[in-house]
Amino acid sequence: MLKTLIEAFALISTWEVIIAMFAASVYGLVIGSLPGLSATMATALLVPVTFYLSPIAAIATIVAASSMAIFSGDIPGALLRIPGTPASAAYADEAYAMTRKGQAELALGAGVWFSAVGGIAGVLSLMILAPPLAEIALSFSTFEYFWLALLGLMCATLVARSSPVKAIAGMFLGLLVSCVGIENPGGVPRFTFGLTDLFGGIEPIPALVGVFAVAQVMRAMLTPEPPPLPRRKFGSIMAGQWKLTKKYHWQMTRGNIVGIIIGVLPGAGADMAAWVSYAMSKRFSKEPEKFGTGHVEGLVEAGASNNASIASGWVPSLLFGIPGDTIAAIAIGVLYMKGLNPGPTLFTEKASSMYAIYLMFIIANILMIPLGIAMIRVAAYILLAPRSAIMPIIMLCCAVGSFAIGNNMFGIVTVAAFGVIGYVMEANGYPVAAMVLGIVMGTMVEQAFVTSLIKSDGSILPFFERPVAAILAAMAIGALLWPVLVWAWRKVKPVRTGVAATSR
Amino acid sequence: MRLPDSVTGSFLVVLGTAAAYGGWLLPPVPGQPVGPNVFPLVIGIGLALCGLAIVFGIGHTFEDAEELIPLEDGQLAAAPPPQGKLYGLRALLPPALLLFYVVAADRLGFIITAAIMVYVTSTALGAKWKLALPLAALSPFAIHLIFGKLLRVPLPAGLLPTPW
Repeated sequence: MLKTLIEAFALISTWEVIIAMFAASVYGLVIGSLPGLSATMATALLVPVTFYLSPIAAIATIVAASSMAIFSGDIPGALLRIPGTPASAAYADEAYAMTRKGQAELALGAGVWFSAVGGIAGVLSLMILAPPLAEIALSFSTFEYFWLALLGLMCATLVARSSPVKAIAGMFLGLLVSCVGIENPGGVPRFTFGLTDLFGGIEPIPALVGVFAVAQVMRAMLTPEPPPLPRRKFGSIMAGQWKLTKKYHWQMTRGNIVGIIIGVLPGAGADMAAWVSYAMSKRFSKEPEKFGTGHVEGLVEAGASNNASIASGWVPSLLFGIPGDTIAAIAIGVLYMKGLNPGPTLFTEKASSMYAIYLMFIIANILMIPLGIAMIRVAAYILLAPRSAIMPIIMLCCAVGSFAIGNNMFGIVTVAAFGVIGYVMEANGYPVAAMVLGIVMGTMVEQAFVTSLIKSDGSILPFFERPVAAILAAMAIGALLWPVLVWAWRKVKPVRTGVAATSR
Repeated sequence: MRLPDSVTGSFLVVLGTAAAYGGWLLPPVPGQPVGPNVFPLVIGIGLALCGLAIVFGIGHTFEDAEELIPLEDGQLAAAPPPQGKLYGLRALLPPALLLFYVVAADRLGFIITAAIMVYVTSTALGAKWKLALPLAALSPFAIHLIFGKLLRVPLPAGLLPTPW
């Protein structure tokens, strides 16, 4: 234990890791604070760079950039009422109301402080949950893996804030994309249409860059430019945060726990965690009437929640290769690329690398406090950069980055194609995250499915015989039938429509 | 680009059926009842069923409340942009430029192709030439420095090789 910890320290205390982490932190803070550029996009654009780094440094950049970007999305949320990342959307109104009351420092300080606390809580959950789960997972056969993967896919469709049918369709689309190529049980070219470029299959990373980055540039073409940030002087940012921590420690803990749970659920990430926690905070608050008028309580809980989900999203990713959210989906791609194939044995064979990941998360969250404060102070200058200067650079990075992954032009074609697919899907209410999950998990689902079928010799029964498999199967089928039941229920008992939810 | 559900649903039905049929045609693993054919078959059928459900509006009720939640870009509902018949096609500019890069990069070289891409994107987003021109002149060199020099990505030199 101690020996692995020392090894882990040795792994992360190289100049490469330190510089990579610092640079990625600054990068994450900047991208996160720019409205329209999300944390997922920041991570996706990092991948080509990680290609050329050592495994630990590569993971360090992802860990640092994603944690920082989720926090710094709060900055334009509080100052402009435009969330920098979707994860800050839940409480942007509240934070802006605080700014208008002259409490911008308190709102942003709460953002930094409770993000850092939430991030560390998330790491603790990763450290505590992952090893015992790995023990259990070691005894899993392909049947359990099949149901687990299916359950993961179903979770992603259940939590999507859209029609579950469209989410399931999105998931199937992703799985279909993963079918392309010769990497299938028979080793025959499948859906390649005679194109040699398609023989190797569609790389997940260019597909992700396409749906998250190119689609975003496409949307920017049709939406008006956000207003520039008014320049202002800030007082002390951390003042009063300790008082808040003591006053709202229960809310903070609840936010952490909710964030961790949502992070572990496949497909549900930081934005979902923030929405749920903000709603929860309002529901259980002693003074719910203050919400919406610039009350810090919801900010504390949701801020603690969204960063906690970032770290806990790595639990299913590292254990099963099932991404906890879209950022983890990208991280899985990098893990495979770097020879750290997700699976329970990772925790025994590469224990020092795992400890290195924990340590990097902790360091990133501590680093967030000074860097975050610095970022808040310079945000006004960074947000002066017009969109017409940022988006072209993003485009170039998409082109060069996707080329760099395989050093071939086909990567760029993939990026362009998935940009269009992502844009059309988003515009028509098909959740992109579900498709991403399908793409990332497709090969694994198919392998588990076909191997199980061969083992069972065509019989369905072995899929349910083992106790864990039976439980997982019941959960997965329940998740599949849930939308049908809800739909039937609504048909029988028509509910009032046209919900006047909080105006946004 | 907001299409009616019947259109997207029908598309999924066609795609799903095609995938299932395509999977059906593939040979199984020799000596085994299953192989690369099963998975596309299952997915294709699932996709087609989802498409049918979407055409018939099943699950549509879930979407009503979601309209209020901002998209990934996190922007507020702003003033409606000037609507022209071709305005919506602007969205296709980024993928078109990427394809342009694929076609042109080997002949023109990275620097020139990238400069054209940057200039067009920037202008399309409303930049004046005072911003777009210096940006197009400098950013390709910066990107080349990071990817080409530091990360050693073999970017095509073409007509205008970089000084390093």
